[in-house]
Amino acid sequence: MPIVEKSLVEVDRNDSVKLDGIDVSGDWSAFLRSRVVADLDPCILDWVKDQPLGSTITRCWQCGTCTASCCLHTDYGMAEFNPRYFLYLAKIGYATELRRYTNTIWRCLSCNKCVERCPKGVKVEEVVHAIGRYLRVTGAAPESPADRFDRAFTENLLDRGILDEVALFRTYERLEGRRTPLREMLRMGVRLFWSGRLRTGPFANRTRGWNRMREVLRARLAEDERRALSTASPVRAGAGGTR
Amino acid sequence: MIAARGVADPTPAYYPGCSLDGLGNPYEVSARQVLAHLGLKLERIVDYNCCGATEVKNLSHDVSLALPSRNLALARARDHHEVVAACSGCVYSLARANEAIADEPTRMRINALLEEGGAPTYDGGASVQHLLEFIYRRAGPERVRAAVRRPLTGLTVAPYYGCLYTRPRCYTGVGKLAGTDDPIHPHFLDELLVACGADVARDFRAKTICCGGGHALSDLDVSVAFSASILAEARRAGADLVATICPLGEINIENNLDRVRAAYGAEVVRPVAYFTQLMSLAFGASLREARLADNFSRPDRLLRSRGFT
Repeated sequence: MPIVEKSLVEVDRNDSVKLDGIDVSGDWSAFLRSRVVADLDPCILDWVKDQPLGSTITRCWQCGTCTASCCLHTDYGMAEFNPRYFLYLAKIGYATELRRYTNTIWRCLSCNKCVERCPKGVKVEEVVHAIGRYLRVTGAAPESPADRFDRAFTENLLDRGILDEVALFRTYERLEGRRTPLREMLRMGVRLFWSGRLRTGPFANRTRGWNRMREVLRARLAEDERRALSTASPVRAGAGGTR
Repeated sequence: MIAARGVADPTPAYYPGCSLDGLGNPYEVSARQVLAHLGLKLERIVDYNCCGATEVKNLSHDVSLALPSRNLALARARDHHEVVAACSGCVYSLARANEAIADEPTRMRINALLEEGGAPTYDGGASVQHLLEFIYRRAGPERVRAAVRRPLTGLTVAPYYGCLYTRPRCYTGVGKLAGTDDPIHPHFLDELLVACGADVARDFRAKTICCGGGHALSDLDVSVAFSASILAEARRAGADLVATICPLGEINIENNLDRVRAAYGAEVVRPVAYFTQLMSLAFGASLREARLADNFSRPDRLLRSRGFT
């Protein structure tokens, strides 16, 4: 399914033009180069739209309201974080271009401004996470810090039913190979202890009667992960290449 | 499906969420004081579980719906029609479950999970709202004003609402249902703070920007930059401190303060306090009773210098 992009502007050829003694002759309107994209991978859209998180992707009209609203794009100024473009690339299946953003897509902060403002009811934040997940389960993207955090968070809360914030902080620091200095940890620990908030480890809050629920939800979590892996075909070598 | 607000539920259910029983405990303590002063009653959901926030959905759709649904089912089992949560993240995921289980196949799948796990099933009917909206709607600025014993005179507060209190309206219903806040220009917190005698930084433009809390640990530079921009905007707008309505926002900003100080200068830093702590102070609680010394940004120091005890 080749998609052809060509110059949409009439050729504006100017020969032998000199401005202040500098030769500026040439094609003045050639800012859109003709090119052909071959081997687009339709599996990407099929997979994303079959996910509960990604199901609204096909409603997208590419108006760009999400990108204009995006706090990362607009407030923080991360120009390459462009949710409209991510949805576009996933829809046409342009895998090589999408892979250039493997270290960008995971940075969505879930502020939901895009979902709030989308005129077509696309749950952009969820779709962007589904696209990120596609890249990860197909091996196109390594596990990102956000993936590791999501996993640590989920495992932590499934354990007792209630999140152990202090343990989550320590687990995640270990995963990233970071270490808060011991003095800092002690200072924090003492403050939490005196204000009755050091509810971690043996003193952590727990949900009574959680054991059965934990096993049920853990099983569903593993099943969903398996299904995500088995339904996503690996990104084809050379898919989405240009010529 | 978003159940209509204001169904006659004299004592709605209260969903604390993990944070209010942990690091955000000053929020819960002060919220109880505020509710007692205003004569409002909530019944705490016993044996609640974590709502899954925004993280779990990235791994499993069904688990991310079963977690909040179990809490809503517990509320319905006690015959509640309304659930009040103090954390914006909890409001988001509880309300998201409500929308998702309106779809019958999804509801049946989630209920099968709940049943298998030994929990009551959930068929909808518990509308979710934020504590701020609950206080505003049930008491309102008038009753708050009448309860004030020590007005917060001379204190300029930046009202910070953050992301998920209003957004997205397809889940929270804010701006969609009668009597809810304005999703673009929220004002409930402004009005309650004014009723407490505080000056509100009128021109504070960071009311609903992201605090970076979603990646508080996993994308440090970004979360520090967002925390700093909220504080810098509070400074520009002439605020002495920032009032928050979400424990994630509060803890994220406070956790980043040292890095903000190092990267953007000490003059940017402002203390951060839960809005219920400020309200409780205005209702006559001491700094200690309102647990203002427990916040890592130490708003108690600023307040003491302004003559509050």
